[in-house]
Amino acid sequence: MDRRNVPLGPAYRLVWIVGIIGAIFLVVAPLFLLFKYSVSDIGSINTGGAPIPLWPHEPTFRNFLYLFSDGQFYSVLLNSLIIATMTVCFSMLIGIPASYVLARYEVPGRKFVLIGLISVRLFPDIASVIPVAELFIRFNAHNTYWGVIMAHSLLALPYVIFIGTSAFEPIPKDLEQQAIVMGANRFQVFSKVLVPLAIPGLIAAAIYTFLLSWDEFIFAYFLLGLGKISTLTLYLKQKLAFAPPQNLLAAISVCLSFPVILFSLLLQRYMTAGVTSGAVK
Amino acid sequence: MARHKSQGIVLHFKEIWPLLPAALYLLSFLFVVLIYLIGLSFSAPTSDAGAFPTLQTIAKVVSMPQFRSALVNTTVFVIIGTPLELLVGIVLSLILYRHFIGRNFVRGILVLPLAVPALVTAILLFILFDYPGGHINHLLMGKYPLFPAVLSNPINWRGSEFFALSVSMIGKLWRDMPISMLIILAGLLSIDPELFDAAKTMGGGWATQFRHVVLPLIVPSISAVLLLRSIEMWKEFIFPFVLAGQTDLLGTFIESLYNDWGYSNEAAVVALVLVGCIIVTTIVLLGITELLRRLVFEGGHRGG
Amino acid sequence: MAEVILKDIRKSFGENKVIESLSLSIGSGEFVTLLGPSGCGKTTLLRMIAGLEPIDHGELFIGGKKYNSISPQHRPIAMVFQSYALFPHLSVRSNILFGMKIKKVPASTMEEKLKWVLPMLRLEGLEKRLPKELSGGQRQRVALARALVLDPEVLLLDEPLSNLDAALREAAMEELKRVHHQVGKTIVYVTHNQVEAMSMSERIVLLNDGRLEQFDRPRVVYDSPSSIFTAQFIGSPAMNMLNGQVVMKGEAVGVDTSLGFLTLDRERESKARALLSREVVAGVRPQNISFVEHSISRRYSDTCLELTVDLVESLGDRSLIIARGGKGTILRFLITREADIVPNQKVAVFVDGRKIHLFDTQSQTNLLP
Repeated sequence: MDRRNVPLGPAYRLVWIVGIIGAIFLVVAPLFLLFKYSVSDIGSINTGGAPIPLWPHEPTFRNFLYLFSDGQFYSVLLNSLIIATMTVCFSMLIGIPASYVLARYEVPGRKFVLIGLISVRLFPDIASVIPVAELFIRFNAHNTYWGVIMAHSLLALPYVIFIGTSAFEPIPKDLEQQAIVMGANRFQVFSKVLVPLAIPGLIAAAIYTFLLSWDEFIFAYFLLGLGKISTLTLYLKQKLAFAPPQNLLAAISVCLSFPVILFSLLLQRYMTAGVTSGAVK
Repeated sequence: MARHKSQGIVLHFKEIWPLLPAALYLLSFLFVVLIYLIGLSFSAPTSDAGAFPTLQTIAKVVSMPQFRSALVNTTVFVIIGTPLELLVGIVLSLILYRHFIGRNFVRGILVLPLAVPALVTAILLFILFDYPGGHINHLLMGKYPLFPAVLSNPINWRGSEFFALSVSMIGKLWRDMPISMLIILAGLLSIDPELFDAAKTMGGGWATQFRHVVLPLIVPSISAVLLLRSIEMWKEFIFPFVLAGQTDLLGTFIESLYNDWGYSNEAAVVALVLVGCIIVTTIVLLGITELLRRLVFEGGHRGG
Repeated sequence: MAEVILKDIRKSFGENKVIESLSLSIGSGEFVTLLGPSGCGKTTLLRMIAGLEPIDHGELFIGGKKYNSISPQHRPIAMVFQSYALFPHLSVRSNILFGMKIKKVPASTMEEKLKWVLPMLRLEGLEKRLPKELSGGQRQRVALARALVLDPEVLLLDEPLSNLDAALREAAMEELKRVHHQVGKTIVYVTHNQVEAMSMSERIVLLNDGRLEQFDRPRVVYDSPSSIFTAQFIGSPAMNMLNGQVVMKGEAVGVDTSLGFLTLDRERESKARALLSREVVAGVRPQNISFVEHSISRRYSDTCLELTVDLVESLGDRSLIIARGGKGTILRFLITREADIVPNQKVAVFVDGRKIHLFDTQSQTNLLP
């Protein structure tokens, strides 16, 4: 029996239904239009004053075909994949043990650590990117993969630690102690008991990190510039600067957002956890 | 795995060393960033290299009219945008609070904007708010059925300061709406539903329940939204970067100083100002929050 | 004070029928308990009286007025919730005054009410505390105070003692009874705990699966349970249930069970004759079975049952014996502490014929009420 089921009066109910439909419309309509543009022929965009159709006159996949025939598109796709994957590896490697410790031990100054994490997260990217770029120029890390990977790991680490901590916390301590009683050492407890149980949360953290790096623009832009290594977001920005047809922009945008939307739908529960983690504490 | 005081600091290290790589990485980052920002800000780029400390760069930045307008623009952006995000969050979370068939599905839809990369959202708005012939202009000019003509001539959205920032704000609100929604929804869901029933049996209608039960109890969520979202508003870069070419916020001003003009010292000064703004906002908001909490929570003489 | 009358109340959540046609008449000033296992619909029924749950079918009268479609705030009720539902941001004082403030009661009246209710529920000195600074018992009393100051015609209590530990619960039960005497309100009390129901209420409404099993005074419910369900739900330890057939043995009418022949008392003999050769369930409370010294049992062998002891559970002043008969059927009975019985011992017991309840195997109802 759920208490949130109690029927509303007709007036409130109407407001509520209008609210829901309005909210869904405002979210879905722009996304639909983005998709529409990506399959539009140029005649459905440059209409010469006639209203732009809500569905292209002649839907076409030519924009995507053009993209897929562009050699540069493949190289930026590959770059984005490499950088995102390496970011996941690096930030999980140092983030997961840290979140295990935070979830399990009374770390002196735990509160301080968490506040530190939040402040790293809240530090404006656009402000921190200046010193990082200067530093990287000095150490020749500018325009390299590992420079961007390190920067992205920095951005992802607080999330990895937050999500990781909340994945380890609900695992009963009894399980751990049982394993120790049965003769496991600390590493075995970690790898054979805790990690398998926390795996959904850890996967979520990994995907979150992947997407964060995949989407990231500011650090990639400052650290790679428009040099020889380019990512998908930079590719999109570069195209934008040359004022290309809107349908091509839309097609790149669809390619860029497709994996993110897909994963977010699949892992919605964990994504929401990632978003609200730390916010309510 | 309770720790025993007698076992001392050595055991501590044995237990917590896996935390260190991540902690060191993050801390050294914060440290380096701050040192560098301050170092860059207080030195001058010109011939007499190494002149540190000097207020020359800071004086130069402060005297720049673009800096002042960026500061004012950003402040207005924050002051208008933060309450709007809160409002949107409260309305949407109240809609989602009720149980109904397909609630999870609707929530999934409403969370979608978060999944769209900010750059993509910005470009989407770039396309929709095109001049002279974007969807929005055509809509407002009454070229589609059902919608009345509000404009006779198309608006050049990116051309005017006001419209450019408004469109950036729309983008920001659209994309980040799920965050405030989810935070407030989490707050709402943590309220024991029996409290609403209790209010009902004691004579409270819908309005009473909202004012006396819901609002006080979601004060923590509201403060979280205000704090996090105002910081995000200060940080905003990508929307104005794409949508407001002529008009600067602090974020885009830093970018143009650094990338277009190659003024790294000046960029650092503005970055430092931005960080300062965020710190001040945080302190002010924490104060307001504490005040609100005291207003709402009575007594608490045991420190609660 | 007002009487509460329910006529043919029905309620379902989707396909799930929670209440199936229920009618009740609760007298003015009466303390009535809705008792039943979890999921029997008792809380739903209470919430329908409160107006928190709409009534699908039937009529609800409070004090002669129909209240079916009137919202909770306009009903002459007050409610204490299972979780107490104290507003966490308000002090004890503000929690108690919450309803009166909404109803814009004059300040002087509010002070009077406070002066009346705080000592009655031993809450003096706690006025400024927040709920989280109170113990469980104190919270329960604040919730009760908050309901009482509204001066309701009917006080609804939803398992108010279920979050308290055993010792506190007993004190709270006494307090609640005292408060009922003092204020004389009609009280509808929901619980799944039969001890609370038996010791506090004037009448018990026994609900099972949305149906009314029995509505009567505690003694009556205990002494003549209307059905197998009631018989097993009320009383502790639970009643023994033995399958058997009504037969004659010599002059006596009784039940032939796998444990042996149970003789019924003379007074009910004529009624019992009508049941001859019927398959029945015979119910006997452990309290109504007595341990018989071996020397005596020889003489009354036809009315005594021979058993082997399985387990002995000490209850303090008495012990519960779990024993089995020749065919493995289990019988539970109570002995005084003095009788020294150990497992595997052979014992003889005497079943009080006046206290044997006969239930129909099919309809499960009491055949000799």
